[in-house]
Parts: sequence; structure tokens; C-alpha cells
Amino acid sequence: MKRNKRRIAVLLAAVLCVTGIVIYEQNIRKPQVLEFGMFGDSYWEVANADGYVIIDKAIQKFEKLHPGIKIHYHSGIPKNDYEEWLARKILKGDAPDVFMILSEDFNHMVSLGLLENLDRKIREDESVEIGDYYETSLEAGKIDDGQYALPYETVPTLMFVNKTLLEKEGIPVPDADWSWDDLYRICKKVTKDLDGDGRLDQFGTYNYGWLEALYSNDGKIFDSQGKKCYLASERTEEAVRFIQKLNELYQGEKVTQETFDAGNVAFMPLSFAEYRTYKTYPYKIKKYSNFQWDCITLPAGSMGDNISRVDSLLIGISSESRQKDMAWEFLKMLTNDREIQMELFRYSQGASVLKEVTNSKEAEEILKKDTEESDKIIDHSLLNQVIMNGRVVKEFPKYKEAMALAEGEVLKLYDSSTNVESALKIIQRMVTNLLEK
Amino acid sequence: MEKQKGKTSGISYMMFAVTAVSAFLVSVFIVESTNIICANYEAADFLKNVTDIPDTPGFLMKKVVFFLLVLAASFVTREYLLPDSMKVMYVTICLDMVAGMFIVVLLDFNYNGILLWAFANIIGHMKRGIGQYAFIFLGIVSYALTDYGLLSARRPLFSVRDYIQVYDASGQTTLLMAYNFMISLTIIIFILYCVFTIQEERGTIEEVNELYHKLSNANENLKEANIKLEKYAIMKEKMGETKERNRLAREIHDTLGHTLTGISAGLEACIATIDNNPDISKKQLQILAKVTREGLDEVRRSVNELRPDALQRFSLENAIRKMVEDTNSLSGVKVEFLCNAPVLKFDEDEENAIYRVVQEGITNAIRHGHATYIQISIKKEDGNIHLSIRDNGCGCKEIHAGFGTHHITERIHLLNGTVRFDGSNGFLIDAMIPIRWGETYD
Repeated sequence: MKRNKRRIAVLLAAVLCVTGIVIYEQNIRKPQVLEFGMFGDSYWEVANADGYVIIDKAIQKFEKLHPGIKIHYHSGIPKNDYEEWLARKILKGDAPDVFMILSEDFNHMVSLGLLENLDRKIREDESVEIGDYYETSLEAGKIDDGQYALPYETVPTLMFVNKTLLEKEGIPVPDADWSWDDLYRICKKVTKDLDGDGRLDQFGTYNYGWLEALYSNDGKIFDSQGKKCYLASERTEEAVRFIQKLNELYQGEKVTQETFDAGNVAFMPLSFAEYRTYKTYPYKIKKYSNFQWDCITLPAGSMGDNISRVDSLLIGISSESRQKDMAWEFLKMLTNDREIQMELFRYSQGASVLKEVTNSKEAEEILKKDTEESDKIIDHSLLNQVIMNGRVVKEFPKYKEAMALAEGEVLKLYDSSTNVESALKIIQRMVTNLLEK
Repeated sequence: MEKQKGKTSGISYMMFAVTAVSAFLVSVFIVESTNIICANYEAADFLKNVTDIPDTPGFLMKKVVFFLLVLAASFVTREYLLPDSMKVMYVTICLDMVAGMFIVVLLDFNYNGILLWAFANIIGHMKRGIGQYAFIFLGIVSYALTDYGLLSARRPLFSVRDYIQVYDASGQTTLLMAYNFMISLTIIIFILYCVFTIQEERGTIEEVNELYHKLSNANENLKEANIKLEKYAIMKEKMGETKERNRLAREIHDTLGHTLTGISAGLEACIATIDNNPDISKKQLQILAKVTREGLDEVRRSVNELRPDALQRFSLENAIRKMVEDTNSLSGVKVEFLCNAPVLKFDEDEENAIYRVVQEGITNAIRHGHATYIQISIKKEDGNIHLSIRDNGCGCKEIHAGFGTHHITERIHLLNGTVRFDGSNGFLIDAMIPIRWGETYD
């Protein structure tokens, strides 16, 4: 009897061991298929028909280099649905090994521990030279000096210039190092009533707001953690005052997209992605086709430089990935492979995150090929400079909410005659309250 | 007692059931809620409002179930399969602690009641002592440190409450109540378990006390019995003495009495005939002499039969030495024998008397005097033998006639000797025996 019981105990232990091993095996075993999470359309809010071309090429190259490993992605997820799709995957513990990260999610994903810290891999992998990347694009994937994602594609903000309009007014296209004063001078000159109906119908700027002015005045609104708000700073105050001054030129007239499309506005901030989209066939026919245009830097504020916002599309590795080494190899393929990065100029609208690629003759050739002979293509050193000096805006979970509040309140400020300094302090307090909630 | 035991094992089933089901329910709840969140397309919003999420809910549940099975197996092994082995008990309790800790960590400290189960087993099974106190200390510390409120302030943890937020208002209330009830129930059951264990322990202590009482009673009885036995032994010895005397009396009556009666009758006949017929008297006297010789033979034979065994085999000196050795080796008494007489070779009755006196003296010294040291000396003094037996026992103020002294006096007097007793300092038997030196008994 006692012997039997002892046998049962041993049997019990053995069954438990086997169960444990089976559960472990099922959930820990390295899969041979690497999952890649991506959205099909453009990150830059422009149309993109070739969403999967670069990825397919990268996968092809990767699978050739690493036989036995397959990469799988779900096609047909639009950017707007991507966040929910990814969140579902993450909640179920089924996060893709490598995935694209929306900038607004990045901060929170790191705090949830969903993203693998890449510092060690970067340090140990000799094939990766971190200096090859633009500092500004790398910065977007950093939290507290830890690199949690690598940039895949970067898009700086440029200033659209209506060359036809300036030519008509006898004004030369401003230099790359122009300032607020230059902008104001030109705006003052071009803002006029063309048809003589007593209402202004030609303007200096469209969509150029205090945020753009603030970045070029070397200022920022929030700290990277989204805990502090700097709305009441001197730099912000200057930026707001400058926009207020510009608005005064327009005598309360609202500048609209139609006015701009009609060719009656001299300047508009424009992303590099939009620039590329509307400079090339087929979209060039759709928009801005009735005048000559080009892009330059944004004007420098009194305390800043010709700096504008630079956005980067980030790709990271899931901290739960069971194939981290392979995931790293694939991440490298996407972000650090010159050939794949060059494809961005062919099939996407952004610029490469690698200095060497964006600066290359080949990239210039590709851009040139798509534009008409008469059109001057964007100056390479300009693009390089804009990306290099750009302002990285790190979004945090409450970023959109806080931004909407700040923008709404500042907008009200233009119309009223209240003191800008004290008004900004009040707005700063409101936004800080929101952040602390 | 048995009933009490039943209660404790009943409560331990209940406690295991409550803690295991609670831990399982928490993991199931997380899996189910995750499914609901995903089905409602609320994943992105949910993710934005939490500080942490479990890695893989499905895997988490499997792991929790696995460790619960480990706990169950450990429970069954300890209680039913190998309940007698201390080693198994310690191993399974350690296993409980480890598996419990794994479950608590897996559930991100949302339910640490399972630790109370491990803790309860320590209280219920381990022996009182430093080991148990160390384990209890460990248990308290681990339970306190695994508190969700305490830990969530220090590092991000997923929270059952976040998942509860997913449901509608009435669902939230119900779930929150259920969650809190589950935690309270665990604590209540744990307290009940402790109470029953303490009661059971108190029962055991009472039982031990009762047994101790019985044992001391038995011990008392045993002491009394021992004293009775001692008295009985003395009585038995006296009965033996009486029996011996009766035998002696019978022997004397049968041999000496018979012979002497014959001699007396013959002599009376001689007295009657000696004047008239001296020849017949002479003849008669010759017959009497023969009868007397025969009687003497008879007496010698009787005496021979009475002679102590040792004396039959050894000389007196050696017999005494043998007795001394025996006493030395048998009792805790030290007996010393000093002899400065050249040859201890006397007549049988003398040897017997000396031997018996020494024997009696030693017996008395041990039995009545409780002596630890006895000195026996035999000296030759002016043709007499001086025998003294001295001990360091308690002695006695008055010398009672009876006991051993009576016999000793009797024996010495038979040999025309004198004997003196002194009980003032230990006990001293001092005898002077005139010896028939050179005489042979025939």
C-alpha cells in the first residue's frame, strides 16, 4: 500500500514535469516565422500606392540572407486602424516581433515595457554604426537616453514658396537663412486687394502658426515626458506675438486652402512627403498645378535658427519576441540597409534616415527623374540641413489633447486684445492641470 | 480529538479550494476581459489608460493552472500519499511557497492570497522551533511585500481594477464586489484555519498533560510496589531462616536426639546393672560407645550437609575472599579483607561459624547500615581468633536483639567465644573465638 502511494507520488511529479515542459515548449519555442506589423498607406498623410513594395523587397533580401526564416505581415491595415489592430495584438500577447510605431504611442509603449531596449544590440553589433543615422531621427526613438526604436523614414517640414507670385511681385526667393523679419517684410508687400473689392485676396502665409514659429525660435512646448509645459516662456511669447503681427496684416481675413490653391498665397509650411507627392506624377496635376513652386527652410526667429519639425516613422522590436536576434536583423535590414533605404526615394514620400543615402547622388537622381525638366528639384544640402537641424517633437499619451487645448486657447488670444504674456501664463496653467490629471 | 482533527483538515480543503479558485478566476477574468476588449475594438483606448499589461493572457492562465496543479499535487502528497515522511513534508511546504510565489508574480500581485495557503501549511504542519519561526517570518514578510498597493507604487503592474473598468457600470460594481469579497474570504478562511490549528494544538497539549499525570501516578505505584517487594524479600529470607532452623531441628532430633535417647536409655540400664553385673554393664557400655560413634558419624554427616557450599570447595580464607570478591563485584560496596593469621585451618564448626558471622556481618552492614565500606579483619591473638567487621554505615543507637546480631551471638557462644557490638560509629562486630588449636575433631 505504502509502496503504491510512493509510486503515485512519483507519477504525479512526473506528469507535472511533462505538463510544465509542454506548456513551456508551446509558448517559448522559437518560431520560424517572424511577424511584422505595418500599415499599408503612408504615414505622412499622403496617398501612396506602393505601400508594400519596399517591405516586400526587404523581406526578399532578408529571407535570402537568412534561409529558413520567413517574414509575415498583414496587408491592408490602414494607418487609422493600425493603432487598434496593434493594441489588440499586444493585449492578447501576440504582438508582432517587429512593428511600426505611431509617434503618439511610442512613449507609452516604452513605459508599458512593450519595446525592447536596443542599446545593447546597437553596441554589440559591429555592422551598425549609429552615427550613420540622422541624430534627429534617432532622437525620436529615444526615451531617457535608451534607444527603443530605430527610425525607418524621416520627413522634415519645409516652407512652400509660390515662385510665380513672388516673381510677379518682383521679390526674389528668400535664402536658406532668412528670418522672421524677411518673412514679415515679404508678407507685408504681397498682402493686398487684387480685384479691388475692398477685401484682401492675396496673402503672405497660410497655415503658418505659432508652433512653426516657436520651433524656429528654438523653443518647445512640452518636455519629453509630457509632464511640463513651457507655454509661458519668452520664446513662445515671441512666436505668438509674431503670428499676431502677421495676422494683423490680413485685417481679420481668414486665409483658406482655396486661396492657397488658387495661387494667391506666398508661403505655406509643407511636409517633405507632401512636397514629393505633389511634385510628381500623378498628384502634381491635382494640386498646385497652375503656378511654379518650390520649398525652402522656415524663417529663423530672433532667438533661433531655420529649424522646423522633423518627423520619423519608428520601427521597434517587441520585448516579448521569441526571435529577438532575427527581429534585430530584420530591423537592421529595414533601417540600416543602404539599398532598402534608397528604395524610400523610389516608392515612398519621405527621406532616408541614413545621412549617406539622403546625401547620395543616386537619391538626387531618383528625385530628379520624377520631376519635370523645368522644375528645380529640392536642393540636397537644404534637405540634409533641414533634417539635421530639425526639431523632434516627442508625443506622449496626452499630447494631442494638450496640444488641442493649447492651440484653441492661443487662437482665442489672437482675436482678443488681452496681454499676451499673462494670457500665456493662464493657458500654461490650464495645460499643466490637464497634464497632471 | 478526532473530531477536532476533522475540522482542521476540512478547513484546509476549504482554504485550498478558495485560494486556488481565486487565483484561477483572476487569470480567467484577465483572459476573458482581454477578449471582450478586443471584440469591442477598445484595445487602443484600454492600452492608453493602463500602466502595465500581462505579457500573454492565455499563456499566463496556463502557467497559473500549472502552478495550481503543482500546489494540488503537493497537497495530496503531503496529506494522503506520504503523510509520515518529514522530508516530504518539508519539500512540499517549500514547493508550496515557491509555486505560490510564482502565481503571485504571474498575477502581478493582484491576488497574493495563495501565499496564505503556503503560510497556513507552515503553521499547520511544521514542528515548533526556530525552523518554523523562520518560515513564519518569511511568510509574513513575503505576504506583506507582495501587497499590490505597496508594489504598484514602485513599479508598473497590471491591475484587475483596470480590466474591471472595461465593463458597464453595474458590471463594474458586481465585479469589484466579487474581487474584494474574494480577497476578504481568503483572509477570513486563513484566520479560521489558524484558530482551528491553535485549538487542535491546545487539545494535544491537554492530552500530553493527561499522559504525564498518568505516568507519574504509575511511577508512584511502582515505588510502593518496590518497597513492598523489599519487605517481601526480607520476609522470604526470614522464612528461609525459619525453614533452615526447622530442618536443623529435625536433623538434630532425628540423629542426635535418637542417638542420645538411646545412649541415655543404655546408660540408665548400665547404672541399674553396674553393681550386680558389671560384665553386662561393660558389654552394654561397649554397645553404647559404638552407638555414640555411630551417632557422631551421623552428626558429621548432618554437619557436612549444612556446610556452606564455598567452604566445601575452598579453604576458609579462600571462601571468605570469594565472598568478599562476590560482594565487591555484585554490590556497590567496597569490602576489604585483612588476614594476619598464618593458616586459617580450623575445625569445621569453627570455620562454619566464622564464615557465617562474616556473611551475616556483610549482609547486616549492607542491608541495615547502608554501608559503602566494610573492613573485615581476622587476627590471631593469644591463641584466640579475633574477628572484627567494621563498616561506615549509619550504625544504630541501640543494639536490638534480633536481626543478624542474635544469630551471630548464638554462633560465637557455641564456640565459647565472646562478641561485642558497637553501633556508635558505623557498626562494629568484635568477636573473640577460642580456637582448639591442633585438636582434630575425631
